[in-house]
Amino acid sequence: MTSADSTRPVRLAVVSAGLSEPSSTRLLADRLAEATRVALREEGVEAEAGVVELREVATQIAHNFVTGFADARLREAIEQVTEADGLIAVTPVFSASYSGLFKSFFDVLDKDALAGKPVLLGATGGTPRHSLVLEHAMRPLFAYLRAVAAPTAVYAATDDWAARDDDFSRRIARAGGELASLVAPHAAAGTSPTAEPDVVPFEQQLAALRVEE
Amino acid sequence: MTATATPIQFGIFTVGDVTPDPTTGRTPTEHERIKAMLTIALKAEEVGLDVFATGEHHNPPFVPSSPTTMLGYLAARTERLILSTSTTLITTNDPVKIAEDFAMLQHIADGRVDVMMGRGNTGPVYPWFGQDIRQGIPLAIENYALLRKLWTEDVVDWQGRFRTPLQGFTSTPRPLDGVPPFVWHGSIRSPEIAEQAAYYGDGFFANNIFWPKDHFKQLINLYRDRFEHYGHGTREQALVGLGGQVFMRRRSQDAVAEFRPYFDNAPVYGHGPSLEEFTDQTPLTVGSPQEVIDKTLTFRESFGDYQRQLFLMDHAGLPLKTVLEQLDMLGEEVVPVLREEMAARRPAGTADAPTHAARVAQHEGAAV
Repeated sequence: MTSADSTRPVRLAVVSAGLSEPSSTRLLADRLAEATRVALREEGVEAEAGVVELREVATQIAHNFVTGFADARLREAIEQVTEADGLIAVTPVFSASYSGLFKSFFDVLDKDALAGKPVLLGATGGTPRHSLVLEHAMRPLFAYLRAVAAPTAVYAATDDWAARDDDFSRRIARAGGELASLVAPHAAAGTSPTAEPDVVPFEQQLAALRVEE
Repeated sequence: MTATATPIQFGIFTVGDVTPDPTTGRTPTEHERIKAMLTIALKAEEVGLDVFATGEHHNPPFVPSSPTTMLGYLAARTERLILSTSTTLITTNDPVKIAEDFAMLQHIADGRVDVMMGRGNTGPVYPWFGQDIRQGIPLAIENYALLRKLWTEDVVDWQGRFRTPLQGFTSTPRPLDGVPPFVWHGSIRSPEIAEQAAYYGDGFFANNIFWPKDHFKQLINLYRDRFEHYGHGTREQALVGLGGQVFMRRRSQDAVAEFRPYFDNAPVYGHGPSLEEFTDQTPLTVGSPQEVIDKTLTFRESFGDYQRQLFLMDHAGLPLKTVLEQLDMLGEEVVPVLREEMAARRPAGTADAPTHAARVAQHEGAAV
């Protein structure tokens, strides 16, 4: 499992906060996932991508706020994200930022759950004027969560889907390539994060306080 | 002294919330709620339960700010009931006062006392008692270490970070028969508390009300592993308590219909998932006594055989009369079956529930 020639496929989690079906947010998410897969394959690494449509767990996310815990369905979505080697996170732009649903999902994750995780950022909107949402809203969110965001983030306005030039496609390919190089080492290492709670031995806590027994 | 061993103790724990009854809109007065809590505790003994535990809170809408006052009254009015807390705030109470209050209560109640330590979940309470919220965990650790010392050593010299030093101090009265009250450590989410309970060989109480099973399974497994690691006995000898929450009527559909408005408006989880979703995901059981028995019997399959089962019965504005009816059913129909079934399924080597008599016997055995 740890030898270099028996690499396992890397797992990508694709989080889409699109609300319509089909949505341009999901469309962008799928293209980013495909670009990442292609780039990984060029490095000889297979990838499996699992999609989390936040629309499908919107009610469960709201319940989590009220009860303090995730139900089975939401937990499955959370585990898909936290156990992935890399994350592709795409949101529509609402009121000059990521959507409330998108933020709410990341609000119910443990604050350390994404630490060190490679992530590719994407956003969609009706006009290119909102494209800096990626840099001014999304990137700080993932910086706070200590995720490792790929330098290229991709914004898709309505016009981009109709554009004849290949700028948009090239940007997607570049972003996918960046995420691929961030997650590829995970395949070689064959490691995956564990869910066991780790605990500081009590003697250490006592010693830190110099509490006498 | 060889008291009859109790494999598992059953009882109730109360938060002491003053909540409007959503079906009438009426809010009980603090006086009514406090008197209701006492009536409920006395009823617990009457129907054959083993334990009554009260929370400690220092802000509205909760009334039980002074647990040993309440438990002292109950000590005089009961004969068998074990009086406990859920929880006693180890962070903001002076450990000297905890040592004194609970030792005094032990004498008054002839040993029918134990205590559950908790950090509390209300941040603002720290400054109300002169403490610094930023020191929550260190306070819990230092205060508890001092509390143990005050109970086990007659003369204490002590110096710490959070209170004035003690020189040649004796906490009075000394614990009854030289054996301090048994201590549980209560936790909703912290693995650190499981570790602390295991380190001292104390009991670990998993609130178990809100979170899905897997979460508590992890915490209890951690506690059992660490209990063994610290040499207090096998994993099976670790002392585990669990919370639970039930509402019963003879017919399942009557229970659901009657409890639904209380569930839907409950301060802790109301306005969220449906009653059906919540009963599916948490230990809450709303149904017939048999359904309560069936669901409670699954707890040991998830968490291993355990020593104490407490039910949350009086909350969310349920009227006193209803709570007393619930306790009748719990004591007469549910607990006797659970006692028998759990005893029958219990593997040899499982620890019995902690009682003062058993702990005195153990203490004297160790002293010989």
